[in-house]
Amino acid sequence: MKSKVVLNFSPEAANTPITNNLITKHHLLVNILRAEIDEIGGKMVLELQGKADDIRKGLDYLKSNGVGVRPIKEGVRRDDDVCTHCGICISICPTKALSFDAKTGKVIFTEEKCVACGVCIDACPPRAMEILI
Amino acid sequence: MMTAEEFKQYVRSNGTKKAAKDVDIVTTGTFGAMCSSGVYFNFGHADPPIKMQKVWLDGIQAYGGLAAVDAYLGATELDDTNNMLHGGAHVIEDLVRGKAVRLRATAYGTDCYPRKEIDTYISLKTVNQAVLLNLRNSYQNYACATNGSSKTLYTYMGKLLPDFGNATYCSAGEVSPLLNDPYFRTIGVGTRIFLGGGQGFVIWEGTQFNPGVPRTEGGVPKRPAGSIAVIGDLKQMTSEFIRGLTFTKYGSSLGVGIGVPIPILDEELAKNCAVTNDQIVTAVYDYSQASRSRTVIREISYAELRSGEAAIKGKQVATSSLSSLYKARQIAEVLKNSIVKGEFSIEKPVQTFSMDRALRTLDVRTEKEAMQ
Repeated sequence: MKSKVVLNFSPEAANTPITNNLITKHHLLVNILRAEIDEIGGKMVLELQGKADDIRKGLDYLKSNGVGVRPIKEGVRRDDDVCTHCGICISICPTKALSFDAKTGKVIFTEEKCVACGVCIDACPPRAMEILI
Repeated sequence: MMTAEEFKQYVRSNGTKKAAKDVDIVTTGTFGAMCSSGVYFNFGHADPPIKMQKVWLDGIQAYGGLAAVDAYLGATELDDTNNMLHGGAHVIEDLVRGKAVRLRATAYGTDCYPRKEIDTYISLKTVNQAVLLNLRNSYQNYACATNGSSKTLYTYMGKLLPDFGNATYCSAGEVSPLLNDPYFRTIGVGTRIFLGGGQGFVIWEGTQFNPGVPRTEGGVPKRPAGSIAVIGDLKQMTSEFIRGLTFTKYGSSLGVGIGVPIPILDEELAKNCAVTNDQIVTAVYDYSQASRSRTVIREISYAELRSGEAAIKGKQVATSSLSSLYKARQIAEVLKNSIVKGEFSIEKPVQTFSMDRALRTLDVRTEKEAMQ
């Protein structure tokens, strides 16, 4: 299974190789979607892939190391009332989460494919895309 | 009565001769960013009256160099901070949505207009006129933009990723009004059109009207060519077809929906309206080339652009549109239905456009050179 989480950590935790431990000790595939770090700590958005049990244990490991863990169901949201279905977002989306449905002429947003990179946010002329993390 | 897409299908099965006989009108549509748009207002007179010299609507300056309480708000106008998320276009959308906007005006005061300032609210319910008046809309074909440089470009064609990372285009292609009547045989001054959800008219050729560009065998311009200047009552319009848009690091623009009915006068026009995306081509340009005459990288059909990928400089590049095909189709459908219901009448142009126009450029000239 796959799970997206937002991690908040203190500067101390930033010195622990937490992603490496998730990979080696908890057998998870880790995809880093966003990472920011400064003097007051850091934030990271990860997509974890592995057995449900391993993911649970991995998250417990993070919590025991003082890392704030918040699971997210969605990283980017589209406001369907605002979207004009122009499609400008399609060619800049690196994961093809935005695609064109030739039959309806609409732009389809497939959330499962979205890695919340945020490249679509300021590319959308009517500003229909919002990043939640 | 058919939409452009239905008509093309009909021609495929029945040929142009039969189509010309069986079909009276083909409806077309487009929805895209149209920067050369704006609204003129008459606010009504204040008491004591004011001859407005400087006018702001929700902080966006409108041109007030007209009669006392007339002003024109342009879609791309920004406030002093250049906040692109809220330009003239967004104020126009707010008004269309029924919102009240703050009107501020200052004046030097005259004997007949003694008041020197006013700060109030207006809405479409309070003003005498609010009229959408657009100088260049519904371009007949447009360029395809890509970026060969090593940094992201923010343009009116959207975000262009480095190293030919993507390519964008802006035409509804085979559904687009002016591509279905390439020589403006039925579209001219006085043509009634669908405009922003209401009814409007073509009032003149659009600015930069340039019909002399290279054309395909079928007569379709291969470069940006004609366009139309249009007018319509903003009070009739809806936010579905009038939208404030933001192009990051470029500015604001107005998303406008336009639909034009094309009467099938003869088989020639049926042939024109039968045109499909594989027969409409445009040129791909590298927008990192900072020149008014960029080099054409290649010509490309809208069929290829619509496929989502195009071969540019030996690379398969993701393509996408700035023009909403979904809304273009919706407009063609709405227009068809309102003609069928008798709510929309077809007008013969009172004057057609001259096809003899050349595009002039702006160069730094002396006074004498400018008069030659």
